[in-house]
Amino acid sequence: MVRLADVPEPERSYIAELECLPYAHHPFTQAVAPELRHVAIVSSAGLIVRGQRPMLANDTGYRALSADVASNDILCSHVSINFDRSGFLQDINVMLPRDRLNELEAEGSIAKAADTHYAFMGATHPDELEDKAREVGRSMLALGVNTVVLAPV
Amino acid sequence: MSGLAHFLEDEGLSTVVVALVREHVVKMSAPRALWVPFEMGRPFATPNDVELQQRVLKAALALLDEPGSTPLLKDFSEEASNLQGELNWTFPGKLDTDSVIAEVSSILPIWHKAQQRSGRSTFGISGLSAEAAVEYIERYLSPKPMPNPKGMAPVSRARFAIDDIKLFYFEAALANDGKPSSFQLNEWFWKQTLAGKMILDFQDAARLGDDKNLQLIADSLVPPERTYEYL
Repeated sequence: MVRLADVPEPERSYIAELECLPYAHHPFTQAVAPELRHVAIVSSAGLIVRGQRPMLANDTGYRALSADVASNDILCSHVSINFDRSGFLQDINVMLPRDRLNELEAEGSIAKAADTHYAFMGATHPDELEDKAREVGRSMLALGVNTVVLAPV
Repeated sequence: MSGLAHFLEDEGLSTVVVALVREHVVKMSAPRALWVPFEMGRPFATPNDVELQQRVLKAALALLDEPGSTPLLKDFSEEASNLQGELNWTFPGKLDTDSVIAEVSSILPIWHKAQQRSGRSTFGISGLSAEAAVEYIERYLSPKPMPNPKGMAPVSRARFAIDDIKLFYFEAALANDGKPSSFQLNEWFWKQTLAGKMILDFQDAARLGDDKNLQLIADSLVPPERTYEYL
């Protein structure tokens, strides 16, 4: 697969020019100091735990991915073929850098890597995801998470 | 994901997006974003390049310490490693069968070897074995399609069966510790395997058929550059 700049037309323009509604309201939460950061990852790769129902196109749900689920049991159900999957099959951290986050915790760069990460289905209109995104946000806050790395694919 | 960032910030979480499509975060004004110049599907660069992945993650988190107003967008300047893959890489086995099922059977021991080496597989989302996935696709448009197990619509099963077939081949291709690029893997799969040809034929047939749902997924079965090359 290729970088967006190398995707042939008309696919490249289609991706780059996808409707992205601007948000009039720009909420902003001040970050805590690095040593206080409790960090979770949110992926848009439609990641699921083996045995769960795969996410389908325009799926507005999400999956919680416990940090203790083995890499062997996390699968990708994203609908798009526009992205490379060979990186993910070699190393989960290409999409979900949970090992890298654990290393940051071990070296003291952050307070904690979250015990649960989350996955949505990319290419779903964000407004359709608002309810579930807010639900995930509240779940994170309840678990002490204060910082989120979002990793689209 | 920029939209999700807005909702999460509104709930009281600080966010940073690691973005592969710069245009999207600009248009949606993600509160904080790091654009990375990597392949689609690889926001954290190169598999098993721990140090590069760490640098990406640290650069993203560093945006949280930036003073000033949002939206904040910075570019990550390093390229991914191993873009060219392995010189003269070849599949670690010989494929000289005359059917896809026979091809899968010949690859199976190589795939098992790959599992033993890596300890991991991303195969299995369709719920079918590799052989059954091939049979499911081969018979899907025939007068006697394979029975669809409960739990998934037939068209979804077909789409995930194709994903699994590709994963099965790609995982086997990595059995010998080789480091092919994604381009090399795709070149090999689409041009040199019977399974690749089967999927291309399936795509053509699906496009000509009456099943609107199948037509919708047909265009997403083959990477864009392959699609144009084969048309």
